[in-house]
Amino acid sequence: MDFDFSEDQVMIIDSARKFLEKECPKDKVRELKEDEKGYDPELWSRMAEMGWMGLILPEEYEGTGMDFFDLTILMEEMGRNILPAPFFDTVALCSLPILEYGTSEQKKRFLPKIACGEEIWTLALTEPSASYEPSGVELRATSLQEDYVLEGTKLFVPYANVADRLLVVARTSQEGITVLIVDSGSQGIRTEVIPTTAHDKQCEVVFDKVRVPKDNVLGEVGKGWEIVEFLLQRVSVLKCAEMLGGAQFVLEMANSYAKERVQFDKPIGSFQAIQHKLAEVFINVEGLRRLVYEAAWNISTGSPSRLLTSMVKAKANEVYQQTCIQGVKVHGAIGFTEELDLSLYFLRTKASEFMLGDTGFHRERIAVELEDYQPLFMSV
Amino acid sequence: MDFKFGEKEEKLRKEIREFTKKELPPGWLSSMLEEESDDKDWAFAMSMSKKLAEKGWLTMSWPEEYGGKGASLWEQLVYSEEASYWGIPGVTMGIGGVDWVGPSLMMFGSEEQKNKYLPLIASGEPDGIWCTAYSEPNAGSDFAKIRTRAVREGDEYVINGQKIWTSAAHRARWCWLAVKTDPDAAKPHNGISVFVVDMKSKGITVRPLMNYVGLHIFNEVFFDDLRVPAANLVGKENNGWYQLMHSLGYERGSIAGRCYGYNKRILDELIVYTRGNGLFREREIRHKLADIAVELETQKVLGYETIWKMSKGDSPVYEPSRDKVFNDHILERLAMLGTEILGGYSQIDPLSRNCKWTKLNGHMEKLFWLFLGFAFAAGTDEVELNIVGQFGLKLPKSY
Ligand SMILES: Cc1cc2nc3c(=O)[nH]c(=O)nc-3n(C[C@H](O)[C@H](O)[C@H](O)COP(=O)(O)OP(=O)(O)OC[C@H]3O[C@@H](n4cnc5c(N)ncnc54)[C@H](O)[C@@H]3O)c2cc1C
Repeated sequence: MDFDFSEDQVMIIDSARKFLEKECPKDKVRELKEDEKGYDPELWSRMAEMGWMGLILPEEYEGTGMDFFDLTILMEEMGRNILPAPFFDTVALCSLPILEYGTSEQKKRFLPKIACGEEIWTLALTEPSASYEPSGVELRATSLQEDYVLEGTKLFVPYANVADRLLVVARTSQEGITVLIVDSGSQGIRTEVIPTTAHDKQCEVVFDKVRVPKDNVLGEVGKGWEIVEFLLQRVSVLKCAEMLGGAQFVLEMANSYAKERVQFDKPIGSFQAIQHKLAEVFINVEGLRRLVYEAAWNISTGSPSRLLTSMVKAKANEVYQQTCIQGVKVHGAIGFTEELDLSLYFLRTKASEFMLGDTGFHRERIAVELEDYQPLFMSV
Repeated sequence: MDFKFGEKEEKLRKEIREFTKKELPPGWLSSMLEEESDDKDWAFAMSMSKKLAEKGWLTMSWPEEYGGKGASLWEQLVYSEEASYWGIPGVTMGIGGVDWVGPSLMMFGSEEQKNKYLPLIASGEPDGIWCTAYSEPNAGSDFAKIRTRAVREGDEYVINGQKIWTSAAHRARWCWLAVKTDPDAAKPHNGISVFVVDMKSKGITVRPLMNYVGLHIFNEVFFDDLRVPAANLVGKENNGWYQLMHSLGYERGSIAGRCYGYNKRILDELIVYTRGNGLFREREIRHKLADIAVELETQKVLGYETIWKMSKGDSPVYEPSRDKVFNDHILERLAMLGTEILGGYSQIDPLSRNCKWTKLNGHMEKLFWLFLGFAFAAGTDEVELNIVGQFGLKLPKSY
């Protein structure tokens, strides 16, 4: 048992923090809110130069071959600073499934482009039912000679407005779900940005008889839900890390404000109602940190746990939201404004909560695990 | 980063599980605060203390010369987790014998004190049982305001005053007593000293205080011209506050694993019970269980972090308070959910051992009627949150 970071990990954290503070200050975050693309291509290529897109891809695909834990702490820094860019979408939601389920042909073809920052990818999974259950996948992929023909609508597809390719989760038979690699330029795709509070360029993507070559199936036909499970059970931890970073920063903001703001001749942090709020938030953020690290470490060392991942996402959803709410309360009216950076974080919480499963969804998955689990006192 | 226990710890875990299977009745579970009330329970707890001592587990983290095994903090954590999951009674040697009296004596005691008291605690015998007397009627959270007075007369101190809420005083052979030696100190904290007191001495009266379900946990203790040899002063005169703060850290540090183990067992019991009677199929119930499972996992890793910091040689300042607050929240939720799940049956008196309608051996009712006591003992939530705010977040003092 040892919770120290390795030297390499300390370096990842330090360099990411410096880089993001310098290259992506809050002015830029605000600017990108109004930007049509929602990200800065120049910043994107600098990130690629830093080796972030290929951080955990093997060297043969132009990556640096670090591990899942390393990517986790990088995501934490991105959440801490806020990085409006399709990083999670390209790297976490797409490159990891390709690495895990792709044929060697697909890996050779696609991964180096991701690693070099040449391509942006995204995942088209949820639909108007806004559900992460298999039953939510209604978009049809019908076999027609050498192709599948896609027909249906995906909703909340992040950065589809700029993506080069999409992983589309489609229904290929009554029971069968299949993941397809789709060129965003294919004929019949219509993309429209949805006005979300986070301004994070989530899109409605309509597939109107879009033809996709059968070679573009990722994994096995009919077994695409396994890939979604891979996202739900592992990749979601990366989203939690990002949320942790955000929560930590919001806590720090509120804590400094509580020391500076004077009312009734005292710093408001000396009032117990304020201090205890902050202390409770602090306890939960510290708890979330250890949970995220535990889950990421388990994944890194090859023993992912479905139960633990759902616990972490459920906890992250709650902690991030609560941290922001309490953080706003500590600030009073200024906390209610656009001007305060806290708002940038708060406005992103709903997107993070929904991504790869909200609290109720994961609570149910935890319950399913508990239903089958053999308690220690009955097994000895 | 490494979240795995070593081989030594895993082996210990297995040994403890084998031990509990052999030594405890099937379905057994007990909680702190409970064992000192009833004579039969107490006798059983003492018999277990003895067995734990023979195994070398009772004081495993102490150096060998004082009856320990020099075990690592991680081994101790595993032992605490397992002991409380299985509900092994008799692990504490009264209030504080194992958790803070011993460690404080090692840090601040004289050679003579160490040689006399440490092996007694490590032996698991009734002569190694302690009570701890800090609180007074006018000094609870504001402990520095104690008034019980010790005045030096030649080779002795004469002690007068009253303590309250002294757990296990009716079982203890020794008292770990905090008194005022300098009532005029500019800061009240600087006038406190700690003594070891023989509970058989003349001048001590123990009067029971019953808790609301009828458990005899704590007592009032009166001191009337009690004469204590000067050699029983622990550490330096007027240095007691500092010494106690140090040992409180120990107390809280040792409690993390114990709390998690107990809570985990209660959750496991509730899962099995609700699966058995179909309640688990109700979404509201299984989601509440899921939520608590998340909190327990969080508690586990937070506790590990505290132990990790201690194992690196840091002395944790706010972490034990953090862990205590977290535990209090969990206990409250478990207690409420546990009795919600029992429904009407939660009305049954947890002390009625032979009622055929008692569910889950009365564990949920016990938890419900005890969790508030747990929450107050060793520092209330509010006081612990003050510590987290002040030392964890560096906020100004709030009171
Ligand atoms: C089961 C049990 C066993 C115990 N065993 C022992 C024992 O063995 N030895 C021993 O010495 N003591 C023991 N105690 C006493 C325990 O340490 C005290 O109860 C505790 O320190 C609180 O003191 P109090 O009860 O006098 O409450 P008070 O200090 O009077 O507090 C009353 C309320 O005011 C709040 N409050 C007080 N100060 C502040 C503040 N600064 N900020 C915010 N809120 C505040 C408290 O949180 C609480 O809610 C035991 C208590 C219990 C319940």
